[in-house]
Amino acid sequence: MALVANNLLKEFESFIAIKDVSFRVKDGEFVCIIGPSGCGKTTLLRMIAGLEKITGGEILLDGRGVVKPGKDRGFVFQEYTLFPWRTAQKNVEFGLEIQGMGKNERKELAKKYIDLVGLSGFESRYPKELSGGMQQRVAIARSLVNNPEILLMDEPFGALDAQTRNLMQVELLRMWEKEHKTILFVTHSVDEAVFLADRVIVMTTAPGGIREIVEVKVDRPRIRTDTEVNRVRDRLLSLLNISYKESFGD
Amino acid sequence: MRDLQTVFKSKYGNKYAIQLLSIFVFILLWHVFVVVAREGILSIPIFRLSDIPTPSETGFALINSLFTEQHGPVISHGLIDHMIASLTRVVEGFILAFIVGVPIGLVIGYSRVAENVLSPVIEITRQIPPMAWIPIALFVFIYGRVIFIVFIGVVFPLILNTSSGVKSVDLKLIESAQTMGANKPQILTKVIIPASLPSILTGSRIGLGVGWMCIVAAEMLADIPVGLGYHVWNMAYIGRYAEMVATMCVIGLIGYLMNGAILITDGRLLKWR
Repeated sequence: MALVANNLLKEFESFIAIKDVSFRVKDGEFVCIIGPSGCGKTTLLRMIAGLEKITGGEILLDGRGVVKPGKDRGFVFQEYTLFPWRTAQKNVEFGLEIQGMGKNERKELAKKYIDLVGLSGFESRYPKELSGGMQQRVAIARSLVNNPEILLMDEPFGALDAQTRNLMQVELLRMWEKEHKTILFVTHSVDEAVFLADRVIVMTTAPGGIREIVEVKVDRPRIRTDTEVNRVRDRLLSLLNISYKESFGD
Repeated sequence: MRDLQTVFKSKYGNKYAIQLLSIFVFILLWHVFVVVAREGILSIPIFRLSDIPTPSETGFALINSLFTEQHGPVISHGLIDHMIASLTRVVEGFILAFIVGVPIGLVIGYSRVAENVLSPVIEITRQIPPMAWIPIALFVFIYGRVIFIVFIGVVFPLILNTSSGVKSVDLKLIESAQTMGANKPQILTKVIIPASLPSILTGSRIGLGVGWMCIVAAEMLADIPVGLGYHVWNMAYIGRYAEMVATMCVIGLIGYLMNGAILITDGRLLKWR
């Protein structure tokens, strides 16, 4: 079992953001988290990454409790997290430099992941010279190169236009099929979750909790308009609607 | 790049032609003004305008002092000597201010405790104009008075800009580094410092400008027989106004070139912006 979350509680000064959240993620699984705005899905992801303190409960990665951020949990933010003073290549090499890897080894390994994310030829570009989609590819390569046990992604395609977004989803699955990293992916988009995930965690809001976990038993590559896919989409949408009804009353 | 000036652009003129022309016109007006004053046509009671040198007199004085070495009871150094003396002092003062100011700025930006401890003293001290430090410099320092004044002028912009640069580093950059396993020293050297570099360079440019301006007054007052500031004063004292103004122009030109040099460095180093 790659990741186990037990009875997670997150309190801020004035309110409870997350309560009674427990779930498991298997090795090599692709799990999406969806939920209404403000339900705490980003907070949850950040807690797993070690970027937010855990008020109660525990998070276990391969049996070990995790508290601080570390390279075992890679994180991809929504945007603007590449180091602007470094080229794409150098951005990807960052984690390897941190580990003290030698220059040539770094270069080779970074190149391998740049190719994996489909950016060969763009290594020497600076982030300002790259489109949003390209930047996110670099961000993904930068995390993957460190061989994390789990890759946490916080709405990584949220800032992209719809077409690029769809393309990046396909690309992500392509990259994922190579090494089958365990991925925990937060998104607003039901379409995205249905297309990508093995399982989808649907959250409630105020306080954030888990309403249901839905399995997507459709073989990949998935057709977005396929009947089975639509069925799952329908299920998820109705779950979310209930969530909205709950928060706004009726 | 589309900005206000391009939107309301008028049809006239090539940029460089206009700039050159305006300098030329300025020099011309200057010349006319002085000639007219000397002929007695223009005399305003409270100004002694006829002592102002013309551009050509200034130019000749400049060339003269650059290429001849005069020695006598009053003048003991050539213009080049003065330039070297002033430049050396400003560079030394700048380096000292950089070594002291940038680390302080980094610490203040990074740590709230450090900020609370250091800021009050810094905020109060920096209100004291560098010139006001000259009397203290005179009796405390046997050597390096002017360097000290330059230091005072440069260090505060450096501290302020550096700390503000550190504070404005995007937290996500730091968090990204953390999720790649970076420890605190690595975050400092590999994220915070590179991210603050633009601010540090801006602080350097501003500080250098202040330091250069301080130099002139400091040299005038600090009782040292060599330096551009001293030279301006000395030339005025003995009535050689053409050389005085020529020296002023040299001071201005050097300041302009130093500013330009840092801007070019900025452009080269920070091509990623």
